[in-house]
Parts: sequence; C-alpha cells; structure tokens
Amino acid sequence: MRDLISKPIICVAMLTACAGVQQELKAEETLSPEQSQFFENKIRPVLIKQCYSCHSVQENEREGGLTLDTREGIRSGGEQGPAVVPGNHSQSLLLKAIRYSDSKLKMPPDGKLSADQIADFEKWVAMGAPDPRDGEGGAKVQYEIDIKEGRKFWAFQPPTAVELPQVRIQDWPRTEIDYFLLAKMEANGFDPVADCEPNILARRLYFDLVGLPPAPEKLAQFEKDYANNAQAAVASLVDELLQSQGFGERWGRHWLDVARYAESSGNASNFAFPHAWRYRDWVIEAFMNDMPYDQFVRAQLAGDLLPAQNETEQAANLIATGFLAIGPKSLNERNRQQFQMDVVDEQIDTTFQAFQALTVACARCHDHRFDPIPQTDYYALAGIFRSTETCYGTIRSVQSNHPSPLLVLPADANVPAGVASLDTSRRAVLERQIEIQREQLAELSGPDSNIRRIFYQSRVSQLTGELNSYDEQGTPKLRAMGVREGLRTDDCPLYIRGEIEQPGQMVKRGFPQVLTDKQPSIGRYDSGRMELAEWIASPENPLTARVMVNRVWLHLMGRGLVTTVDNFGASGQRPSHPELLDHLAISFVENDWSVKQLIRSIVLSRAYQLSSRMDPENYRQDPDNVYVWRMPKRRLEAEALRDTLLALGQNLDVDFPEGSLVAQQGEGNVSFRIRGDLAAGDVHRSVFLPIVRDEIPEILSIFDFPDPSLIIGERSSTTIPEQSLFLMNSEFVIRQAAGMSAHLISKYSTESDRVNYAYRMCYSRLPEPSEMRNATLFLYVYGKEHNETATWAAFCQALFASAEFSLR
Amino acid sequence: MFNESALFSRRTALKSASVGFGYLAFAGLSTMAAEKENLLAPKPTHFPARAKHVIFLCMEGAPSHVDTFDYKPKLKQDHGKTMTDTRSRSAKLLGSPWNFQQHGQSGMWMSELFPELSNHTDDLCMLHGMHTDVPAHPQAILRLHTGVSQFKRPSLGAWAFYGLGTENENLPGFVTISPPRNNGGPSNYGSAFLPAICQGTPITMGNPRLAAAGRRGQSSPSGIVGNIKNPQQSPDYQRLQLDYIQSINKKTLQLEEQNNEVEGAIESLELAFRMQSELPELMELSSETQATQSMYGIGEEATNNFGRQCLLARRFVEAGVRFVEVTSGQWDHHRNLQQDLTNKTESIDKPIAGLLADLKQRDLLKDTLVIWSGEFGRTPYAQGDDGRDHNHRGFTSWMAGGGTKGGYSHGATDDYGSEAVEGRVHIHDWHATILHLLGLDHERLTYRYAGRDMRLTDVKGNVVKEIMA
Repeated sequence: MRDLISKPIICVAMLTACAGVQQELKAEETLSPEQSQFFENKIRPVLIKQCYSCHSVQENEREGGLTLDTREGIRSGGEQGPAVVPGNHSQSLLLKAIRYSDSKLKMPPDGKLSADQIADFEKWVAMGAPDPRDGEGGAKVQYEIDIKEGRKFWAFQPPTAVELPQVRIQDWPRTEIDYFLLAKMEANGFDPVADCEPNILARRLYFDLVGLPPAPEKLAQFEKDYANNAQAAVASLVDELLQSQGFGERWGRHWLDVARYAESSGNASNFAFPHAWRYRDWVIEAFMNDMPYDQFVRAQLAGDLLPAQNETEQAANLIATGFLAIGPKSLNERNRQQFQMDVVDEQIDTTFQAFQALTVACARCHDHRFDPIPQTDYYALAGIFRSTETCYGTIRSVQSNHPSPLLVLPADANVPAGVASLDTSRRAVLERQIEIQREQLAELSGPDSNIRRIFYQSRVSQLTGELNSYDEQGTPKLRAMGVREGLRTDDCPLYIRGEIEQPGQMVKRGFPQVLTDKQPSIGRYDSGRMELAEWIASPENPLTARVMVNRVWLHLMGRGLVTTVDNFGASGQRPSHPELLDHLAISFVENDWSVKQLIRSIVLSRAYQLSSRMDPENYRQDPDNVYVWRMPKRRLEAEALRDTLLALGQNLDVDFPEGSLVAQQGEGNVSFRIRGDLAAGDVHRSVFLPIVRDEIPEILSIFDFPDPSLIIGERSSTTIPEQSLFLMNSEFVIRQAAGMSAHLISKYSTESDRVNYAYRMCYSRLPEPSEMRNATLFLYVYGKEHNETATWAAFCQALFASAEFSLR
Repeated sequence: MFNESALFSRRTALKSASVGFGYLAFAGLSTMAAEKENLLAPKPTHFPARAKHVIFLCMEGAPSHVDTFDYKPKLKQDHGKTMTDTRSRSAKLLGSPWNFQQHGQSGMWMSELFPELSNHTDDLCMLHGMHTDVPAHPQAILRLHTGVSQFKRPSLGAWAFYGLGTENENLPGFVTISPPRNNGGPSNYGSAFLPAICQGTPITMGNPRLAAAGRRGQSSPSGIVGNIKNPQQSPDYQRLQLDYIQSINKKTLQLEEQNNEVEGAIESLELAFRMQSELPELMELSSETQATQSMYGIGEEATNNFGRQCLLARRFVEAGVRFVEVTSGQWDHHRNLQQDLTNKTESIDKPIAGLLADLKQRDLLKDTLVIWSGEFGRTPYAQGDDGRDHNHRGFTSWMAGGGTKGGYSHGATDDYGSEAVEGRVHIHDWHATILHLLGLDHERLTYRYAGRDMRLTDVKGNVVKEIMA
C-alpha cells in the first residue's frame, strides 16, 4: 500500500486552493477518568467484539469505507457519512445502525445488540463520544466541502450594482455599456478604433440579428438614413430586425445549441424522435415573441405544471418541457434502473450547464472535484428528476428497450399536425402488412426462429407505431415530447460511486447548497420540479441572469465576458469585466428578462459599432481583443452561410415549414429509416433542417455545427480544406451560383452594373477599381470558352468561395 | 472600353491557357506564391531528427493499463482486498481477469488481449510511468493533445507540422482520421494561434456503425471525398477561378489586417485545390494488395474499421504527411470491463500489428514514430464488480519506431498500478520527447503570441532521453 496513502493529500490541497474545501484533522483528546472508564468498560469491548472484524484499520477491513478502531475513523465515518457525531444522536449513523430502525442500515448484521448496549452507546454519544484511541482513521483523507467558504466564489455571490465608471474621453460612450468598456480600456492604456462604416454596420446587424445579409436595396436605404441621423437609423433598423421572423430563427438556433436539440436518440442505437420539432418551433417562437427569459426557463423545466389561459397556451407549455426529453439516450441499455438514472443524469447535466453554467453532473460518482458541490447535492437533484416521468416516445425494437409514452396535446390547442393524414389505402396497406408479419410470427419454428421472431416483432412494432400515430379518421394524433410528474415521487438515495447496485443514504430533494441557503419544501405528491424551475428563474439566483447575458454577449461581441460560457465554476474562467457582467444581469432582470431589450442595449452601444480595423499597438498587447477596442470580423456559422447562399441563389424559402422531415419518416431506427442526405433538396432556413444525431446534414457538419449530444454554448470555428472543397465543388454551391447568375443577368445588362450589384449582394460594399478590373479580366478570359450564364455563375461562385463572403 | 493588352502582362495569360492562366494577371496576387511556399516549405530541424513522421494512435476514453501492458502480479494476488483512496473511499482491488505472458527477446510482458501485437514487443518502447493532471475526460484529452485544457492552444500535430513544414504540398501536413467530436472536439486538432494551415484536416471514413453493419457510409460519400472533384469545371478553369478568388482575398486581407480567418481561407483554398489531384487516389484502399489488407484485418468484422484507418494512416505517411492521428473511441470502461475491453482490444490488435509490420517491411518504421496513448489510465480497484474508474496518477503509453528503443520498458507504477513511481513521464515530458524525436527542441519551438513566446510544453517538459535508440 506504499504511496497510495500520501498522494490523495495533494488532491485535497488542490481542492482547497480551488474551491474552498477544507480538510479536517482531529486533534488529540484528553479524557476524564470517568469518561475513560465508561469507554473502556462499555464501549470498547462491544466495538472489538461486534465491529472490528469488518471495520478496522488494524485488520485492514474497511467495509463501506468505515473503520471503527480509531477516534478519527469512527468520527469521519465511511461512505455514508460520520458514524458518530459527538453529542448528536440524530446525525450519528452508528446509533441508527445499531437500533435497527432503518431497514437499509442494520448493524451488526448478525444480530441486534442488547437494549442495554444500545443505551450505553446513546449515552456515550451524548457525553460527547470521548475516545482515547489515537491513530489514523479508515478513510485516510477525509475532506469536507465547506459550503460557506464556497459561497464566497464570485459566481455564487449575487450580482452587485455599481455606479457607472468615470471615463476620460467623455464624448465617446453612447450607452452605459460603453462606460464600463472604455473605463477598462483607459485604465489599461487602450484606445478604441474608429466607428465602422454604415454599410458594414448594416451587414453586421443583419447577420447578427436575423442571420441573412441585407439586400442591396435595404442597404442603400439604411446608408441614406444613416447619413441623415446615424443613431436614429441604427435604432430603427434594429427594431425592424428584432420584429422579424428571422430573428426568432437566428436566436432560437443559438438556444438549440445549448439545449442539445436533435431529432433522434443518438448513442449506440439511434431511434427517431419524430415529435422533437415541436420544441424547436416553440423555442423559435419564444424568441420571436420575446418571451421573458424567466418564463422561458420555467416553461422548459416545468411547463406541464404552469397555469394556462387556454388550450393553446397549455399545449405550448407542454411542448416547452421537450427541453428535458430530447437529450441523447442509450435505448439499448438493458438495465431499466440504470437507464432511468442515465436519463436523470443527462437532465441534471443539461439543466445546470444551460441555465447555471455549472457542471453539477460531475458529482454523480463523487464530490465535485473543483466546485463546492458534494455528491449529496447531485442526489438531491436526482430525486427531483427521478420523480419526473420523461416522455420521449420511440418504439420497442431490437436495440430499443425503453419506449415511453408521449405527452398528449389538448385537442383544441390549434397546433399543426406536422404530417399528412393517413388515407384509407395506406391504412389498408399497414393493416395488411401487420397481419402478414403476425402470421409469419405465428408460423415460426426451427433453430434460428428466435432471431427471426425479433425481426418480425420489430417490424410489427414499427408498423403498429405508424398506425397508432393516427386516430380512427386518419388524422395525426397531436403528441409532444416532454415531461410530467412521475407516478412515484420520492427522494433518491445517494449511489455510492454512482453505481445503482450500491445505494447509500436517502438524500432529501433540494438545490445545490452553495447556491442557496433556502431549501424547498416539496409536497408529498410533487416531484419538486416546479420549485426547481421557480428557483432557477428567480432574480435571487446568482447565476441565471449572468449566464444568459453572457451567452447573448458572446453571440454579438464574439467573445464571452466569461469565455467559458457553459462553465462559471472554479475550473472556468473569471469574467474579464465583472462589473459590466453584473450590470447587464441586473438590467436584464429589471427589464422583465427581455432578451430583445438586452440585445438592443448591446447593439446600440458604441463598442458594438466599432470598426474591425487593426491597431498594431493594441493588438500586440491584446490579440484576443479582451478589452473590446475593435470589432473583428468573424466567420458566419453554418446556418447563416447556407441561408445566405440560398438567398443569393434566389432559392431560399423563408416560410415557416410545418413539422420536420424526420417527422415524415416516422418512428424507428434512423439507420434503417433515414437514407441519404435528407436535407439535400430542402430550401427552408437551416434551423429547420433535420437534425438526426450522428447524421448531421453535410453543409452543417463541415462548417462546425456542434455535436447535438453535447451542450455547446460556443461553437468552434475551423478553417479546413473540406470547407474549401465544398465551396469549390459541391452541387449545392454550384446550384446557388447558377441562381444568382440568372438573377444578375436578368436584372442588369452591363457588366459593371452586374459586378457592382453582386458585390453589394455578397459583401455589402462596392468593388474598388482594382477589384472591378480583376472581375472584368476574369469574366473576359473565362467567357472565351463558356457561355454567359456559365461565366457569370463561375463569377458568383468565386465570390461565394472568397473569405469575405463568410465574414460578418 | 476593354483593353486586353493593358490587362495582361504581355501575352503570358493567354499563352498559359493550357496549363492554367497564371496568377500574375490579377492585380494584387504577385507576391502570393512566394509567401505560401515560405510557410509550408520543409524547415531545418534543431538537431538531427530520428523521426520524420508521426502516427498517433489515440485511444479516447482511457484504456486500462493494468489489463493490457502493465503487468501487476501483486494486484492479482491481492484481488478482492480493500483499498482506500480519495475518490472512492474504499474499494476492492480487481486483479486483471486476463493472463500475461512474456514475449520476444526482450521478455516484455503483455496481456493475452493482444495476441497479434505481442509478436512485435521487440519494436515497442513502453512508458509505464505516464501521468497527467486531471482524471476527467474533456480536460485530459485536451491536455494530451495541446498540453493545457484551460485555453485554446495548438495541437501536438499542429506544432509538429509548424516546426517541420511539409514534404508534400498537395496534402495537408496534419491529418486526423475520424477524430472524436466531443471532449473538446476540433480543439484537439486545432492550430489556435499558429497559422490556420497547421490545423488538422479531419478525414471521416463514413459512419463506423453503419459501415460495420454493411450499410451506406461508402455509397453516399460526403465531405472531402464527396466534393473532391468539380462536376463541371476543368482544372485549368478552376485554377483561373481560384486565382480570381485569391485576388479578392488579397484585397480583403488588406482591409482586414491580422485576420486569421482570411489568411486561413487563402491557404485552405490552395491546399484544397492541390489535394484534388492526389487525395482521391490516396483514399482508394482497394489499390492495396489483398495480403496487405488482410494484415490490417480489413474485411473482418471486428477489425475492419480500425484496420482501414491504420492502412490509410500508412498511406498518408508514405505520401509525405507529417502527422497522422487515428482515433479509437469508447475505452471508458466503468462497467462491463471484461466484455467491452475484450471487444475494444480485438478491434485494434490486428490493425496495429499490421501497421507495424507493414511500416517495417517498407522500411518506413525507422523514421516513422508510432505512438499509442489514452488520456489517462484506470484504477486497480473495481467499480462495481466489473469495471474500473479513471486514474490519472499512473498509466502506460507506448512508442515504436522513429528512433526509439525497441523491446524497452521505461518507468513503472507501484505494485498495483495506481501511481507512477519510477521513470515518471508527465504529458509535458511526453510532448517534449516526441518533438525531440522529430529533431525539435521543445524549448526553441516557439510562436510569439500575446507578447509571449508560446511553447507546446509551456514552461515545463523534460525529454526522456532513456528511450532513444
């Protein structure tokens, strides 16, 4: 055992430094003669006789991590907690165990101690458990997370309002945000660069708010208005864009990244979630309608428990809980309880990373390594989610062992069906096929009949699933993914090392202690989800508003104030501008959690409207632009790139499509059901593309679409030849180039008019003379062996493939 | 209005129509060729290199060392005994359920899980004293690749390519085959502040799950393979178009100074264009003899996928790619160790043995460094009764070829394999050693960023000299 013992202390030291976790070591103890006598006569003999064989350092027996032959061992306890807490009967597990009052904890196992012996132990604990036995305890290092100390960490403190800082350049700031940024720049010796040109600002606003470039006509109008009254023009454009449907599609997609939205179960056996799209549409509409963010949070965690004015609202609330149901699932898991705890784990992980930027799920198997989140806090939450029924659908089949019901939407909810009705001929086909499979099932015999039985059963399941998704009249039933209160609502035991075979003590349902000192009182028949939703959505929660404003800031400014947007814990980064972060969070709550107001306040700042221009001195000191002294151009995300290509190719369908291509494919294993690139012919906005886990449409996956099994607040941005090849050679890009070429040719007759217009379409600017000459040269040489349409298509494609095209 | 002679530098553009149009015709492009070559050109090493190429076999999920390469008889002997540890306050030691045997002239111990690889022990150099900082996958995977997990930093492969330049301009210098998408995903093959051209080019080989089931994947190629050829344009006209694109990019670069995205796009387009000529052939594994394919286990269900990846890695190295990474995922055996580790090792055993044999028979092993590692190891004690937890305090990785000692074992863990106690090699040391084998001094391979000369090894790293042949 050499060296096994000394090492953990280093870990503890690290933890202490990181998150205020302290190590408790017991000092020597002096006993009075009476105490000594009592211990030696009444306690020690019983311990030796009844306990040491399984709980002794000397014997190297440490059942449950517990040793009872030293003072330290008995007090620090084992995996379930201290065996003896001096003076405290209720917290002394040893007393509970010897009383045989808890069916899961009866010690000694071979037979109960006598009533006298039990009384002696009770008396001893009441005396303060005097104990002369020095020496190290069983669990060599006993650390405890110090919650009080942990609460001092910046992220767990409530946001504090501060006065606007003083700045030297008085006429620079335009909004409150600017004061915070400029003050920091001045303090660190940075000068902001100049404001950006109006056309570039318009491009920036269009892409950031709706994910599409301004049409040349819109651009011209804005430039005119800007010349007239710059900030009035900006404000009016911002309001117009915030009102558009495109805003919901653009910003809804940002949230869908965080919500790990997808339309299949993923993992080893990938089954379709044909109803997931309702959640997607709900998110888009929530952003479009500027649903207050606290309500947005409540609906996703507990929409099923919220009051509703009418059926439509009730349906929307149910659909919102899809947030908890659309996560990846290992449907092939055989153990039902393991499956359930994995679903619970995924829900805890997503809820806490998405709304709180905390990795609470790390505490499933042991206390959190970096943050003051003990394992018990995890199981306090697990109890809430385990008391919740998750309704995600799927069918029973090979590799799919856990189909669940779906939520039934109210009949008068006025929600779209998503799929066409079942006509009578299709119904007849289905019924006949089911019959055939059943007949074949009945006739099965022979050595390999089991394998065939499974096959036929899966077919029947598949076909019945399809049939059952319609009512008698062939109208699609209105179903949604989501959650509801479980039939059984109860606390959850702590599972030692996260293993379901090893339940420890029951943990009362509640919230992570470091975040609140007020634990909820949960009704007998409630899961506690409503209380959890209320608590996260409360202005008192130190993280909720901060985390969301930081997400919004990232999408607009290109860099989070806290760069680890999904991790505000000790292993995350500290905020670059803590006062500004708090200021934004407080204003956010004061403005009724309006996301649109928040966005508006950021884009109207002077900082947002800065040029991307270089300043070598600033750059040398701050290449990452932490101080926001300029607004570097960033790459478009996959969706914005695809939507722009479609729009310029005159092929984009901006209508809100009903349902999803996955819904039309129906239930079943996606590797059997979904063939080819489902998205290939689709011309709707990219947010509506089918998102099947591990089958992401090509254009999205090449351009850094995040893995939808993970919670991703900030996407990667890679530059790889695969992207260049897509732009140079793919049928999709070639098609859009042809579309734009035809448009240019029909709209303008002269070469320079066409080139100018193309530049405005693609880059939101006009070409410089040297660029015009290059374009002319290209068109001339290329045109020698190609017709006009092909030549202009090659020209348009060249613009698409250039770097500037994908910069906003 | 259009004056041809004014726009063309004499007759060069038209004259060169059959071989491409030449970029000199477009304003602003004249200096590009020279700059590009500077970045990619082979560079002198700091001292003579032992290896010119690296194949990194990355075992994502952290394979158990005590069941594979780190023989622990005492662990077996004390099987079932209780052990204490911070993470799980007490747990039962789990002796490896597999038998170990000595192999080769070196008498290296290896578990029966590697019936094929054990024939190559005399080429392997074991590092039994590996250790890292954090027992959590995302952080540890990032550290394995970039040295840190708190910040975005260049990947090992990006540093190697940056330090050495390319041997084949028509291919990326750093290729990663079927990279993991989680645990940092692209950050594991990113270039961070290094020039964007240094980042790994991911090559996906179809959905393994579907490919294994014999469905799709191959029939509907996408990504690089799918778009490797333009369906309409001739290469000459595509070159003309690309020259025009680059003239636009050059202008953008003037407007957007220091924009890594623009610089990256310029390089990426050029590389993509050149790749069209060589990549399709290179990806065509069917051009290999049946005997070669069998060596890698191609065509056998268990080994087909990883075998194809390993064979592709050899072809990339042969074609001059500096750094090829091949990932095998799902080594996180908290449960079902006996079944799952058997399956996993079976899937890589023959392919890796085939790779080593193939490199050797082609005389490539002497200057190709093959490295095998997970992000950490696993505990000697059990999780449940058939699983192991994370262990960052001691694990095994190995190297082969590229100037390392064959049949050699460096370092050791304690009697149970819980902690590295001798010849300890931290991830920084491991990085320093790999760079050293490539002829690069990890303290001199720097890139100026944010006012500092950044290194892969930060301010740490010791070269493990003992393992050099």
